[in-house]
Amino acid sequence: MTTGDMNIELKDIRFHYGKITALDGVDLALGEGACGLLGPNGAGKSTLLRILLGFLIPAQGEGSVLGYDIRKDQFLIRRSVGYMPEGDCLIPGMDAVTFTAYFGELSGMPRQEAMKRAHDVLFYVGLGESRYRLLETYSAGMKQRLKLAQALVHDPKVLFLDEPTSNLDPQGRTEILDLIKDISLKKDIQVLVSSHILTDIEFTCSHVVILNKGKVAAQGELEALKEIQFSLYELRTKGETAGFLKGLKDKGCRVEETEDELMKIYMPANLSRTEIFRTAALENVQIRYFIKSRTSLEDLFAETVGVD
Amino acid sequence: MPIAERGYAHWDGAFVERRFPWWPITRLGIRLAFKRKFFKPLFAISLAPAVFFLAGIYMSERIEDFQFMFRGRNGNRLLGVDPAFFKTYFTFDTVLFLMVMLMVLAGAGLISDDLKFNSLQLYFSRPLRKRDYWLGKMATVSFFLLIVTLVPGLLFILFKIIFSGSFKFLTTYPWIPLSVVGYSLLVTLFFAFYTLLISSLSKNRRYVSILLFLVYVFSDVFFGIFYGIFHEPAFCLLSIKCDLQQVGAFIFRVRPQYDVPWIYSVLVLTAICSVSGFVLKRKIRGVEVIQ
Repeated sequence: MTTGDMNIELKDIRFHYGKITALDGVDLALGEGACGLLGPNGAGKSTLLRILLGFLIPAQGEGSVLGYDIRKDQFLIRRSVGYMPEGDCLIPGMDAVTFTAYFGELSGMPRQEAMKRAHDVLFYVGLGESRYRLLETYSAGMKQRLKLAQALVHDPKVLFLDEPTSNLDPQGRTEILDLIKDISLKKDIQVLVSSHILTDIEFTCSHVVILNKGKVAAQGELEALKEIQFSLYELRTKGETAGFLKGLKDKGCRVEETEDELMKIYMPANLSRTEIFRTAALENVQIRYFIKSRTSLEDLFAETVGVD
Repeated sequence: MPIAERGYAHWDGAFVERRFPWWPITRLGIRLAFKRKFFKPLFAISLAPAVFFLAGIYMSERIEDFQFMFRGRNGNRLLGVDPAFFKTYFTFDTVLFLMVMLMVLAGAGLISDDLKFNSLQLYFSRPLRKRDYWLGKMATVSFFLLIVTLVPGLLFILFKIIFSGSFKFLTTYPWIPLSVVGYSLLVTLFFAFYTLLISSLSKNRRYVSILLFLVYVFSDVFFGIFYGIFHEPAFCLLSIKCDLQQVGAFIFRVRPQYDVPWIYSVLVLTAICSVSGFVLKRKIRGVEVIQ
């Protein structure tokens, strides 16, 4: 994919809240498809979304969303992107059709077309039957769908979803994730999902951006990242393991021990697995069980951010 | 319903550049106000004083027909349509009270509901300026207040001309239309700022409603107490109602009720509007839409 194909591009973005650095030289290039935005609390995800929506002007760096400058064209950006906030958002006393059409109109759609489009979008998200009900009577899952509908009503080219499955039961969660997947794969809309639920990202996204302490810790295609970043091995040993573990850590591996005495070794891409055996031989440790484990996004996140 | 059965077609229309981007907000505010319980009867009642005064204009032109209703020559004085007549309507306690009640029902939730239900994030993720949001909300309150002030004021002038069959009233008081427009705008602007200020202070619509009512009433009660104790007319500045009446008296060129320069009342009202602007600027922040 060339630079021209990128819908979201950021170069060396820096932003500070007073003395606190929120973003420190963030470079991003996101093309079509669904992308997950991950990071621990305080990593800079919200600040990044604020900058992408044009609410904050970065102290340094430049960027564009759909070719619009994030410093100058905030209104054009907001017209072309849809945003689904995290918490419950509604206007009491309204029904879903009026609500959705209202926000379509505020996006710049003609009134009649906004109303027509509201019906279509509500059917799409599965609220067709209850579109004339008062919003206060909606369940958590319905409110989530409603937020998705208002984000889609003006047919955005990019969709920002902030914790789209929060407060949902398993059934509702699956349905929302199906919708997100459908939007990103079949509707030609780029989706940027910010979520703490790694399995949601893994289910819906082909790309991932991991932020940590205001910097991009990893970004790229999810499958490739899992391969490139590290290899994960699971093993059981016999003997005194302290020296063995120290030896592995000195080589740059991260080691986790589970309650059932299974060791998980995250090995950097530049190391060969023979190093594990070499270290074990040096420390007189017997390896009784050894398997290359399938890496999950959770493993990637833990390895990149350095948390369990 | 499985995904495969759901349709999603891209919208091929064109966005429009609205001259007044705040208008959809105003339209919605008006619509939601009429959906509120008791609002329609209150709105009808708030028009009653205007009807009463219109009847007064008709009677003033047919004074002989209604002479039996009055003793002596009082009828002429009572029904004289002059600047004092307009000042009386515009600063009438009942009219001001009904305006406050309209604000309680139609304006209390304008911002507090948006704060409570997090809808600010939805507004500001659209191509909408903070200014447009304010204007949309203010215009909602203004719509109702102007119906109670500007519309009757202009109708009074029109009906006076129609009933009298001459333009003598306008030639005698050529500044009256300007005064009507000026005072209507002033009182509307002030009450719009007042409503939005209080509406932005709490996420609870009920508290806002109570506060809207109590601040207005108690400002007058405090004035009454202090005036009763110290007999100092300057305490009228404490009362929102008196401030509006003092300014109204100046605009309609009538002797004010209290011997306090009208400009002080203007300053008090301006100060409240300024505080409102400051608080709104702090409370309504697009940057906080993403929590």
